[in-house]
Amino acid sequence: MSLLALSNVSVRYGRLTAVRGVSFTLAEGEVLFVTGPNGAGKSSLLRAIAGVTPPAGGRIDFADHDITGRAPEDIARLGFSMVPEGREVFGSLTIEENLLVGTGMHASTRGWRARAASELEAVYATFPVLKERRHSQAGLLSGGQQQMLVIGRALMTTPRLVAIDEPSLGLAPNVTDQVYERLIALRAERRLTLLIVEQSSTRAMMVGGRMMLMRGGEIVLDGDARALGQSEAMHAAYFGYGEH
Amino acid sequence: MARASILRRTIATPLILSALLLGFALIAWASGSRPFNQTVIDIFLQVILVVGLYTFIGNSGVISFGHIAFACLGGYVAAWTTIKPMMKGIAMPGLPDWLMQMEIPYWAAALAGGAFAAFWALVFGAVLMRLSGIAASIATFAMLAMVNAIYSNWSSVTAATSSVVGIPIVRSIWPYLIAAILAVFVAWAFSVSRFGLALRAAREEPTAAAASGVNIPRVRLIAFVISGAIMGAGGALYAHSIGIVTPDTFYLGLTFTTLSMLVVGGMGSLSGAVLGVLILSSLIQVLRWLEAGVQVGTGTFALPGGVQEIALGAVMILILMFRPAGIMGNSELTGRRARAEKPGEPGHA
Repeated sequence: MSLLALSNVSVRYGRLTAVRGVSFTLAEGEVLFVTGPNGAGKSSLLRAIAGVTPPAGGRIDFADHDITGRAPEDIARLGFSMVPEGREVFGSLTIEENLLVGTGMHASTRGWRARAASELEAVYATFPVLKERRHSQAGLLSGGQQQMLVIGRALMTTPRLVAIDEPSLGLAPNVTDQVYERLIALRAERRLTLLIVEQSSTRAMMVGGRMMLMRGGEIVLDGDARALGQSEAMHAAYFGYGEH
Repeated sequence: MARASILRRTIATPLILSALLLGFALIAWASGSRPFNQTVIDIFLQVILVVGLYTFIGNSGVISFGHIAFACLGGYVAAWTTIKPMMKGIAMPGLPDWLMQMEIPYWAAALAGGAFAAFWALVFGAVLMRLSGIAASIATFAMLAMVNAIYSNWSSVTAATSSVVGIPIVRSIWPYLIAAILAVFVAWAFSVSRFGLALRAAREEPTAAAASGVNIPRVRLIAFVISGAIMGAGGALYAHSIGIVTPDTFYLGLTFTTLSMLVVGGMGSLSGAVLGVLILSSLIQVLRWLEAGVQVGTGTFALPGGVQEIALGAVMILILMFRPAGIMGNSELTGRRARAEKPGEPGHA
């Protein structure tokens, strides 16, 4: 049984088509890297699944619900948590307040308090640096800490799937290593399904898992990250050799 | 508990602000001067209105030009429910009989004014909160114009543009102080509630907030209704402070003054809202004295009329130029030394 299933999904911005008829399924517990050059439609695909940019066509199912065109907050409540590109922390809120926003609005006040407290402890256990600085403004954190904060915020919604758009963007390689270390550990602890968008395929090859390569709004390759990474087809597809 | 810790960490702010307001009240009480008393009552009324504005604008980052409409709704509720039935019969013959006979105390009128304004905030807000940015701001302005047009023309219920007189005047300073302190506490409680948190998150990064499960139009609507209630109660008390209402009491002039106070103090901060009122009111008061004329040696020195408004405008422009996030920026008075803040970081409004 797949957790996420896309069939023939397209995304358009006015007359520009960013994603053309993409179909794939993702099973519970899987790690999927979506890679590809700039403008391949990776982020648009993610935003369409999260409901931020409603798809122009096709159908998206998540956790046995048809979520096509649903509002992002509804999709988040079903357990799909997206970390948008560029680490959008709520800069003037404290770290703790940032995390609490993630616990959502739907629980009753009493249920909310109890859940918020236990989720906070869990996130602080994963990212001790966040606990140390819990009362400082999120805008003052370093890039790596902000990345951990937004991942922590995504975890506060008790998601089944976490989708992250370019977690390595603007981070030093050793900081990126730390972020990935935590992600992999989290996946094991929480049985999380991960959908990670990265421009380069090297990270996917290091971490392993499944990799999809997008170009021109379409999926051109789909397979095991390590196997694909070493193949000629990968390079050809990434750079578009031999198409003309 | 997570939430309890937020309450504990932030409760200093409303306490400090209340102490500040109490200080003003005590000075007025000790002075025993009637005009000074009236000035401090005006200040408390402005605090209520500006704190009401902050509750929506500060947390949502959406500028509203229309909130004074809610004060208008509240002010007329005070007129409808507290004027002697005989006088109402002459000025506003179109009122339904139950309302015509009603004569309730001023504090009940303030509560009723708040409830009435909250109801209309819910109705208007259900439509307006789907808009964002400048479109939302302009739509709130349209709301102000609509309310003003209705109250200026529905003569059998509002006496149109003529003054409605006979509202019992409350001259004691304490009810206004209590109301201002209540407004401060309501605003604080909202902004640290989960809805307030969600709204402030949406102000900064709408996409990330929605992806975290925040229903932005809904949390905006909650803030709109609460701020509408505060403005409505403030409008009713305003009516009781002067005894008269006209639609133009609650129109562009008051909109401009209250918004300038919020901008000067800092739109993203409750402390800023209160300090903005205290600072600008003091400035206005000084200018009023100068406009009226002061004895200098043998002659009198008087500023030409209108200097008040010009000075307000100038202060607002200067603040926007040199401290765009207002005096307080996004921070609050906490009684502790400020945490390390990024200097001069512009607000997200």
